[in-house]
Amino acid sequence: MSNLFTLEFITVIIRLTTPILFASLASFAAAVTGIGNIAIEGIMTMSALFGIIGSNLTQSAVLGTLIGVLIGVVIAMSIAFFSMRLGANAVLVGIAMNTFSSSLALFILYQFTGEKGSSASLLAPTLGSWNIPVIKDIPILGTLLSGHLVLVYVSVILALLFYILTYKTPLGMRMRACGLNPDAAKTAGINVQRLQVLSLIFSGIFAALGGIYLSMNYGKIYVNGIVAGQGWMGIAANGVANGSYGLLLIAALVFGAFRAFAIKVNIPRFGDLVGAVPYFAVFVTIIALAIINTIKVKKGNVAEQ
Amino acid sequence: MAETILKLEKITKVYGNGVVANRDVNIEFKKGEIHSIVGENGAGKSTLMKIIFGIEEPSSGTVEYKGKPANFHGSMEAIKAGIGMVHQHFMLIPSFSVVDNIILGDEPVKGLFIDKASAVKKTQELSDKYNFELNVNDLVSTLSVAKRQKVEILKTLYRDAELIILDEPTSVLTPQETQELFEQLRGFTKQGHTIIFISHKLDEVKQISDRITVLRNGVSKGTYNNDELTMAQLTNLIIDRDLENDMDEFKTHKDFGGKNALEVRNIVMKHHSKNILDDISFAVKKGEILGVAGVDGNGQVDLVKTIVGLEQVEYSGDVIINGEKVNDKTVKERRNMGMAYIPEDRMVDGISGTLPISDNMVSTYYDRDDVSKGALLDNKAISRISDELIEKFAVKAKNNAVAVGSLSGGNVQKVVVAREHNTIPNLMIAEQPTHGIDIGSAELVHHKLIELRNEGAGVLLVSADLNEVIDISDRIIVMFEGHIAGYFPDANNIDETELGMYMLGVKRQTPEEIGGALND
Amino acid sequence: MTDKKAKKLDLSITNETVFSFVKTFIAILIALAITFVVLCVVSKNPVNAFITILTGALRKTRYIGLVLERTVPYTFAGLACGLLFKAGFFNLGAEGIFVMSGLIISIVAINPITTSPILHPLIAIVCGALVGGVLMLIPAYFKAKFNANELVISLMLNSIYVAIATYVVRNYFLSQSTSLIATPTFLETATIGYIIDKYHVSIMFILMLIAVIGLQFVLKKTKFGYQVRLAGTNPNFAEYSGIDSFKLAMKTNFIAGMLAGIGSAAQILTQASNFQPSTTVTNIGFTGSLLAMLGRNNPIGILVSTFFIKYLEQGTSVLYYNDTSVPSEIIAIVQGVVVLLVSSQYFLKKFREKKLLQEGLNEHE
Repeated sequence: MSNLFTLEFITVIIRLTTPILFASLASFAAAVTGIGNIAIEGIMTMSALFGIIGSNLTQSAVLGTLIGVLIGVVIAMSIAFFSMRLGANAVLVGIAMNTFSSSLALFILYQFTGEKGSSASLLAPTLGSWNIPVIKDIPILGTLLSGHLVLVYVSVILALLFYILTYKTPLGMRMRACGLNPDAAKTAGINVQRLQVLSLIFSGIFAALGGIYLSMNYGKIYVNGIVAGQGWMGIAANGVANGSYGLLLIAALVFGAFRAFAIKVNIPRFGDLVGAVPYFAVFVTIIALAIINTIKVKKGNVAEQ
Repeated sequence: MAETILKLEKITKVYGNGVVANRDVNIEFKKGEIHSIVGENGAGKSTLMKIIFGIEEPSSGTVEYKGKPANFHGSMEAIKAGIGMVHQHFMLIPSFSVVDNIILGDEPVKGLFIDKASAVKKTQELSDKYNFELNVNDLVSTLSVAKRQKVEILKTLYRDAELIILDEPTSVLTPQETQELFEQLRGFTKQGHTIIFISHKLDEVKQISDRITVLRNGVSKGTYNNDELTMAQLTNLIIDRDLENDMDEFKTHKDFGGKNALEVRNIVMKHHSKNILDDISFAVKKGEILGVAGVDGNGQVDLVKTIVGLEQVEYSGDVIINGEKVNDKTVKERRNMGMAYIPEDRMVDGISGTLPISDNMVSTYYDRDDVSKGALLDNKAISRISDELIEKFAVKAKNNAVAVGSLSGGNVQKVVVAREHNTIPNLMIAEQPTHGIDIGSAELVHHKLIELRNEGAGVLLVSADLNEVIDISDRIIVMFEGHIAGYFPDANNIDETELGMYMLGVKRQTPEEIGGALND
Repeated sequence: MTDKKAKKLDLSITNETVFSFVKTFIAILIALAITFVVLCVVSKNPVNAFITILTGALRKTRYIGLVLERTVPYTFAGLACGLLFKAGFFNLGAEGIFVMSGLIISIVAINPITTSPILHPLIAIVCGALVGGVLMLIPAYFKAKFNANELVISLMLNSIYVAIATYVVRNYFLSQSTSLIATPTFLETATIGYIIDKYHVSIMFILMLIAVIGLQFVLKKTKFGYQVRLAGTNPNFAEYSGIDSFKLAMKTNFIAGMLAGIGSAAQILTQASNFQPSTTVTNIGFTGSLLAMLGRNNPIGILVSTFFIKYLEQGTSVLYYNDTSVPSEIIAIVQGVVVLLVSSQYFLKKFREKKLLQEGLNEHE
């Protein structure tokens, strides 16, 4: 138990938080304009696979990453197409995309490798870590800040950039307006649907990076079932955050810490159950929020729906 | 007089479902005037404004703005041309600050970012210039309704609107606030702005307008100088009937023993610790129609929810149906006691649009013996009853398998009323029963309510339509800001303006006078 | 007058039911066309491969048997999801129910509680159904009482259930004869044999037919079905009409959970020899939601869609024996495209509107 509070453990938390952070950003980016993107799990899967395949074909980790991101954008745009243009229910489209993705990924993996388990046979360069000059030599701070995987830094930078975009620029303000009151946005001359498509694309990029992180940075190959519910955790984090960016980041970090805890704390016999703790945390949080909201309505402190 | 700023010529608008909203409407708006457009609900005012503002395109006819043809595609083009609109339902984002709401869509930037400092400066100056007394850094959610309206007006001024359309701006205001708004509007015209004022409150229209255009059934009944028209003439132009359109002739006067179908005693309810319902007490007797008059948003919605059992917010006081306290009873239990309910928002609460008429005709009594046997539904009986009701209530539909959502508003409402009527109620709660429907349908609804009353049911009629309340009620109470402001024991003997004063909070009776609502 | 009109069988494209058939049919054609294009890319002999996918299932009676047998658990999953969707719940809990019911069924199946080959599976099925029904009440309760998002809750529960089942099997029922996390082999008395050997038709198949017809009847003809219809199309209206939405939510979810539980039994007791929490019933519940969409939440529609998908899947399996370049996951393309197109409101809508307009004009003449 004593090794819980070491620097190494903090590094583990950071590593395990990153995909959840990407997924949380993906969920938030869509929700900002009022879209519920529940296909994050599917996008992560497809991008994780296409990142590796792209990297294999181009023999460049960076190009592979770009190809993976591109796939994420394509899926996001097809969600937009089906739900906005063709009027399909967004949740159903999301479910279909998730199920579709997991089988399609298998099919494509098989086409490239001849097997259905993993991409181990594909020679693909992956993304590495980054040692920050100077800082890496400072004790403690160096271990804390330097030497992380590249996409860890990317996630932090993107989280910051997306915050600035959303809260400090005209585009971000308009996007938020679409989510908060689409009619008001419309009367202010904003093309709501266009911004919703844009926010879905942002969502697709974030989700894609989350998937790529898993197959090309945290791991080195694509393995079947690699996403393992982390996309859902992002959606859950966004649900818990309820529109607050700060809470979103905290929720992602807490869920990441739960995962680290589950891996690190090896309680004999109960290991399987500890692994489910993050899901249980989300379960409890969502129910608690719902109960609080119900009480508020009853006391007349919330406008009824 | 001054030059023409906006000219509508032969504007006709036919919607996809065949509803004619406007027909050959010609209006000229002069620069610097306050021009009122008046007419009943559904007279075509809103559609006309949407056409001016570029939200709808006319089926035929032309719009000329500042001497140039202007068929705007989308409100953005109208805004750019200098037209602003203050919608009846505010288009604001409560969690945004005043300044953010104002600049949304037209943000000042510094590099890539919003130039917040200059935005605050500009909007604050604008607010101060017009004496709006707003702090532009406040969140809109913390503002009063009147202040929110000012934010809406500021939005149009920020975009340099020369022509400002105000859609029912006073419906949410207190009398003092209304007067304040009027002063500001006069100020605007002095600075060269033109105001289009849409309202159905005639005293206000008479007070503020330079000229008045009357719409009836989508057709213009002419534009008049305000001073050319008396109140009575104006009223006659608007409503397609005599002022004395009392439905008294249809009423019979049997004695039902003076028993109460509904009693409401001392209802108090809080929203954010403000009393949204403030000690409401009244009774509806068997064989009478009690009208609840009042401008929308004065607590009527929560009052009705409390009575029918759909309220989610806690309250104190008692609801008593047929002598039995029902506070803890469900909607179903109350319905089983003989309550029926015509809801305000028929599309949201009163029907399921994708289901056929037949399914919608029995939703409140599908478990009754004549439409079900044990666990099974009697689909044949349902179909037969639906056909009977379609005929009896003159619902225009191909057959009973048509989805209700595809019917026009009036026909949807007929389905709702037919169903509730067929529950054979002894207490009917009718909430805005003719809002937004055609005159023919409205008349049918009124007759059916009176029919119920004549048969001994108690009818609670909650309506923002003053004519309706006066025409068909026996007694009337007026709600204002959550309390009963006035009680009128004889609806046949009422001065409309007098009633209006209670609705607008100008007058308030003593508790003893109001007590009659419960004890008479 | 109106009565007669309503009863006349309306086969024109403007009829809602006919239109949805046509729409599904065209969606299938498009999906098959896309599949063919994919085959042209990945297979050396695309025409042959395409024909194999379409007809492969018919080449041996055993294949037909496999199709029929595999249709059963998925149809149950589809019925469970379809009922939930119809009642307005976005509850994807069927996936987790398959696991938890599977756990109970397996525990019953490895224990010699009775020697009767009829009673033993029956007890297993009943236990599975009850566990499914009860567990489905969890998201339903929080949704109905507090309006908590049942979609996220049910998805979280799915993950939690897999963890619980793995924990239980690993610690209490672990097979000694394999390195996998799996239960020991089921007892002979617990497994369900075939009634018609040739076509792999078991009592579960009959049970499925009963469930399909029963549910169809309940939805169309009973008060309960009517309540589901109201609440599913407009919950406000149901509330307004006085329907006890809490009770209805509990009833619907309980039935859906039972259906999923029985489906789990169909998978485990006829097609598996032991229970592995992370593989034996994986993805059946999720696929059920797609099948429900395909069948437009209509029980018979769900059965037909499931059979159709399983039929093509068998074709792809046959293809895989002959041509290993095409794995059976290609079926995902058909499934995905059809589901997306069928659930698209505006797909072919313009075409229908044109016809409607025409019809309207004709009526005027």
